[in-house]
Amino acid sequence: MLVTLKIFRYNPEVDKTFHYETYKLEALETDRVLDLLEMVKGHTDGTLSFRRSCAHGVCGSDALRINGRNHLACKTLVRDVGAKITVEPLLGLKVIKDLIVDMQPFFDNYKKVLPWFVNDSPLPADGKERLQSPEQRAIFDETTKCILCAACTTSCPSFWGGEAYLGPAALVTAHRFIFDSRDEAADKRMHVITETDGIARCHTVFNCTMACPREIEITKAIGELKMAMITGKV
Amino acid sequence: MGLKRNVSLGTGLKYQGGGPMLVFVLHRIGGLGMAIFVTIHLLASFMSARGIEGGAFLNSIYENWAFQVFIFFCALFHAINGLRITILDLWPRLIPYQREAIWIEWAVFLPIYAIAVFIIVRAGLGG
Repeated sequence: MLVTLKIFRYNPEVDKTFHYETYKLEALETDRVLDLLEMVKGHTDGTLSFRRSCAHGVCGSDALRINGRNHLACKTLVRDVGAKITVEPLLGLKVIKDLIVDMQPFFDNYKKVLPWFVNDSPLPADGKERLQSPEQRAIFDETTKCILCAACTTSCPSFWGGEAYLGPAALVTAHRFIFDSRDEAADKRMHVITETDGIARCHTVFNCTMACPREIEITKAIGELKMAMITGKV
Repeated sequence: MGLKRNVSLGTGLKYQGGGPMLVFVLHRIGGLGMAIFVTIHLLASFMSARGIEGGAFLNSIYENWAFQVFIFFCALFHAINGLRITILDLWPRLIPYQREAIWIEWAVFLPIYAIAVFIIVRAGLGG
């Protein structure tokens, strides 16, 4: 099938502002949008810039706005989006070149929620693992799946309004550690997420849940954090 | 170097968030509409009480049936959508059913609004 691919282009060394370029490509319905971008870069215009790494939905490098909505380019098939495809960079982050955005504010927010395991207690008597029951694990199982692609955070109107907002990805990470029975820094994380630019700025829009390529129920996780904030129970 | 991060209103509105995004936008419009109504109402009352010219004109704006159709939409939609959000916030276990919640919201909103619009328009047109 013939696919019309419209791509957001911006070269800071040449352009004052962005523009779109359109390419006509022969593609299969089962081709991925990432394949189309590779075709353009490999055969038509080598200056096209975009991030990609594993190309299998694991690394989260190629999160892009495809036909107006955030997706991973490597998990989006042509048949899912049709023959007319528009590819743009993620919203709310500075565009460095073409489809590449500056992820620094996103990772700065991520770091604020202490995204690492904290447990300073002595090891159990046998000196081995800190055990956890399947039920304890199930509470935060879903939020361990986050690949930090930023599709959720950059689909959030609150984040569009200001990058100081922690954003869904950071809150998902906070959920992953706060509800981990082995972790001991829940209070510190709750303090961070209950600040002005924390959880209160979630307006339950659900864009994040719909954008997540790992199908994490992000708004549900944020809802559980809100309840923990209100009740003080973790 | 690089483009600024600013997301314009137009760009944000073009995001294809579907039904949940639509109700979010309508919720904002509803809140804004009520703020405009309260502002006009307060201003009109103040001007009329002080005998400042223009108070009657402002009164005529929000007493107009077309404005009432708009403001009733704002108030009713904002209230029902706010109730949906409150319920989901208080019972996060219901969040996986958020799509159904939005359908229920429309099912509650549309008949009430339709009846209200019928009454307002009929009264407005002197029926």
